[in-house]
Amino acid sequence: MAKHVPGKKGSYIMLYALSTCPWCQKTKRLLDEMGMEYYYEDVDLLSGDARRDVMVDIERWNPNRSFPTVVVDDSRCIIGFQENELRNLLKV
Amino acid sequence: MSAEPAVSKEDIDQLYSRLKKEAEATGYFLNPDIDFTKSLVKGLLVNEGRYGYWACPCRLAEGVKSTDLDIICPCDYRDADLGQYGTCY
Repeated sequence: MAKHVPGKKGSYIMLYALSTCPWCQKTKRLLDEMGMEYYYEDVDLLSGDARRDVMVDIERWNPNRSFPTVVVDDSRCIIGFQENELRNLLKV
Repeated sequence: MSAEPAVSKEDIDQLYSRLKKEAEATGYFLNPDIDFTKSLVKGLLVNEGRYGYWACPCRLAEGVKSTDLDIICPCDYRDADLGQYGTCY
């Protein structure tokens, strides 16, 4: 189950990350700094069916299945650490 | 997945120094943002503890060496990424 980080409510933000990836850590820090509520999954810490299911979700948005992948409101996807894009999309 | 393998600051500093020397001896340079680079090095060491090899910290490893050969650092994509982005992924 995805981890929940409480914060300002607004868009539904789902971050797919790897616990070992500095770009993913920077994305988490940016969302923390913006004070947004978000959910994240460290995919490398999953195994078996849970990992497979999450990878199917990611592939819908990002066929390269790279990290970080941020899905906003189940309608927009930002691939990689893209500070300006994320700030613009979330209007922060 | 079980608890994260422990990685000490000394291990990170030691591997960072080694990789810096090796990279520069072969015409490459590590990212000058040392904190960022050391967090990458930590990821390499975590993956070494998990899998027994340096799977790229930014790519999802299967945990089977024969399947992950392309993403073991320095990975098969390094030079293409350097050409395209000026840095490895």
